[in-house]
Amino acid sequence: MSASPSYGSRPWTFYVLATLFTLFVIFLYGPMIAVLILSFQGPSASLVFPLRDPSFMWFDELFNPRRTGDVVGAFNRSLPLAILVMFLTVLISVTAGFAFRRRFKGATAIFYTAIASLIVPGLVLSIGTLVTFRYLGMSANWYTSALGAHLSWALPFGLLIMFAVLGRLNPSYEEAAFDLGATKWQIVKEVVVPIVFPGMIAVALFGFTLSYDEFPRSWLTVGTKNTLPLEIWTMTTNVTSPALYALGAVTTFVSFIVIAVALASIILIQRKRFRGK
Amino acid sequence: MAIPKSAERSEVGAHQGSGEIRLVDVTKKFGGSYAVQNINLTIPHGSYCCLLGPSGCGKTTILRMIAGHETPSSGEIFIGDQMMIGKRPVERGTAMMFQSYALFPHLTVLDNVAFYLKMRGVGKEERRQKAEEMLQRVQLDHLKDRMPGQLSGGQQQRVALARSLITNPKVLLLEEPLSALDEFLRLKMRGELKSLQNELGITFVHVTHTQPEAIALADMVVVMDTGRIDQADTANVIFDRPKTPYVARFMGGQNVLTGTVESLSGGLARLRNADGATFEAATGALEAKAGSPMSIAVRRDRIKLRKRLADQVLSAVNEISGIVDSTEYQGSYIKVTVDLGGGVFVVNVSDSEYFVDAVVRGDLVTASWTTADVHTLSKVDMGAIDDPYLDATQ
Amino acid sequence: MLKKTGLITYLQVTPLTVVLVLFFVIPVALVVVVSFFRYKMLVGLVPDFTFQNYADLLSNPTTWSLYVSTIKFTLIVLLVTFVLGFWISYFLVFHVRNLLTAIGLFLLCTVPFWTSTIIRMISWRPVLGREGLINSGLQGAGIVDQPFDWLLFSDFSVVVAYVHLFTLFMIVPIFNSMARIDKSLLEAAVDAGATRWGVVWNVVLPLSKTGIALGALFVVTLVMGDFFVVTVMSGGLSGSATSGIFNDLQFLNYPRAAASAVILLIVVLVIAASIFRLVDVRKELVR
Repeated sequence: MSASPSYGSRPWTFYVLATLFTLFVIFLYGPMIAVLILSFQGPSASLVFPLRDPSFMWFDELFNPRRTGDVVGAFNRSLPLAILVMFLTVLISVTAGFAFRRRFKGATAIFYTAIASLIVPGLVLSIGTLVTFRYLGMSANWYTSALGAHLSWALPFGLLIMFAVLGRLNPSYEEAAFDLGATKWQIVKEVVVPIVFPGMIAVALFGFTLSYDEFPRSWLTVGTKNTLPLEIWTMTTNVTSPALYALGAVTTFVSFIVIAVALASIILIQRKRFRGK
Repeated sequence: MAIPKSAERSEVGAHQGSGEIRLVDVTKKFGGSYAVQNINLTIPHGSYCCLLGPSGCGKTTILRMIAGHETPSSGEIFIGDQMMIGKRPVERGTAMMFQSYALFPHLTVLDNVAFYLKMRGVGKEERRQKAEEMLQRVQLDHLKDRMPGQLSGGQQQRVALARSLITNPKVLLLEEPLSALDEFLRLKMRGELKSLQNELGITFVHVTHTQPEAIALADMVVVMDTGRIDQADTANVIFDRPKTPYVARFMGGQNVLTGTVESLSGGLARLRNADGATFEAATGALEAKAGSPMSIAVRRDRIKLRKRLADQVLSAVNEISGIVDSTEYQGSYIKVTVDLGGGVFVVNVSDSEYFVDAVVRGDLVTASWTTADVHTLSKVDMGAIDDPYLDATQ
Repeated sequence: MLKKTGLITYLQVTPLTVVLVLFFVIPVALVVVVSFFRYKMLVGLVPDFTFQNYADLLSNPTTWSLYVSTIKFTLIVLLVTFVLGFWISYFLVFHVRNLLTAIGLFLLCTVPFWTSTIIRMISWRPVLGREGLINSGLQGAGIVDQPFDWLLFSDFSVVVAYVHLFTLFMIVPIFNSMARIDKSLLEAAVDAGATRWGVVWNVVLPLSKTGIALGALFVVTLVMGDFFVVTVMSGGLSGSATSGIFNDLQFLNYPRAAASAVILLIVVLVIAASIFRLVDVRKELVR
């Protein structure tokens, strides 16, 4: 029998920590909200409060490449790149996760290489990837070198999540399915994937956002055309209008959609699991 | 309310007072639902008390309220003469042994046992020495430098026991202490708990859902059903003279029969059940009325079983007939389950009797008993609907 | 079939290995190799085996002062994120009674992680700037006459941005470790007379050790390897250990940039290794 929670009066520490937590959440979201509001700044082009004559003009400005740089082009590179990284991260880390459920020669070496890849400074990797491509006589490009640099950072994350997910996957499920006459592919399709699916969504979310927001690893590896974070970086030095905030609002909005889709699908799956179909 | 007899001893650690536990009108609500409701219970000092019931009946909640890990929504809890509500667990003179043992995984066995002394600010040397003495008592001093994760289940339990006893409690609270052990260890530890309680002379409150465990250990068995106490008595009374159909079923060892009172005379009631069989029972203190339903219990091992010819008619009182559904060999007796058509009836036949004329599945049989072996229940049986605990007849 | 390892296992792990080799092992190895090359104006890289780049860097006082500044930032950020991460996790795990509420609040903390880092940095400008929310608020309330200049483009704003960006890396692993602590351990400690603080010190803290180590690993490597946050938030006033790399790259001096990168890599790996030695992080990761 599990220990039931006590419903006695809350200790004073609760109130202290609840206050701390609230302040932390304000600290986390406050500035983002400020930027969101200021992105509707009017023609005064003021970068600070108060908000005067709210308008959408700075959002329009974003699509005017002469003033703000190639935002649309950068987005058109960043989005496919993020989606590509997302699919590859899911595919590769899920299969690798299964390999790590068994003992095999070199497992420790690969594991520590992945961890090292996680903690190596992005800038170091950026230089290394650029030099590698130079030696191979290839030019850096977002769909080659940047893709690889992003993967080298997204994959270890994905792998760690898969460890956590697969650690909970009891091998007897597969053995039971095997006993009941399922083939290898049926086991994967009917038993493993449904159980592991929420974890795969989490991996996908990581893959997408790590790539979509990545800066240091993109810096030297995207070649001549910028991805969105790099475009924003150049804008921070050139653009001194609320268009920057508008861009922030738009990218954050995209991120929120991705997060909402991921969380909603995880919640839906869990619900189905508890309530039946 | 009791008036304190002597000056209060509030000093932590010196638990010389009485280990009598008194719960007065204790109710505990979680959200909107009652975990326990209006519990009144006195556990005498120095007794071994088992709280028995299926999971979710509230027995663990009672234990945790005595320990101070839950606060009752209303009601009072006394240990000795002192009101315990509002006191910290350590001030209560209780020690709790958790179901999971709750051994600190980051501390060695010795440091686990010495934890209480460390909290009281006892110096390192002294507390280690005392903890070692305690470990000697549970014969684990040779494992003192191990981590809990390196011990077997039985060893972990001994460490948990040593860690509880080092507080010198007047009440030891045990939360399903034997549930994680295998059968052999369970029986061994059961004996050890009992002799430990005898030796220490303090109150043990032991929560369990296993009937044989409760009967074997307890001076006092408290049978619980969904937040209420059904019966609190000695093991013998609970087993032999259960008050309610629930207790009779839960303890096993009894058959519950229900019929309508046909007539009353000289303290005897005559019942007839739906199949037309008639029984007799002493009404005792129970107020019985002709025409109203009544339930009785008959011990399984007080019943005579014989084969019946197909044309034989049932005529006698205290006789019931059915077809043998299964026989289970139990060593000294054979458990025969008889299908009555509308229910089951269990007869424990001693092996010497059984093998004279063994019945097998499908045999038509008659079971009979004497009125002296019938025991009247204070409630009418509503049946054991889908309750795995009640069907697990032993 | 299920027991048969061998070929299929290696096939499953091949894509990961290929990516790691191509985009991590080889690039890092090449950085090490190039760090021993010579740099010639207008020519670029000249293969060689010289320690000149390292000698240049290590004899340059700027390198040392940049490292001192980076390590200073690292320690401050480590302390702040640890305190925040520990108590926020503690609050969520042990004080919030409803599990769903706890998960919801936890997600609330993690959502910003999935949004753009650069945008989150920029978003401090209208808050901390001379005419920002805090300064105008303080002036409006009559608390100060002159706006604080040190709020933005200062060491302070750098720390604020780091804490804003990286506290999550502490919260997640610590929350994970804490959530695994059996609640009856806390009750057992209370039973033994531990005070609230005693429970935290004797039970919760030691059992969150792996989470703390993991969080520290992330925060240290992120702050040590950062160049962009410190540049944007200090307005170019402060540098980091990576600033040298940036400058060298502007002049296409790859060998010296590589040597800087190798030094940084060694420092980070030494710190990471000492954290791994202190706590068996792998046990936590694989579980």
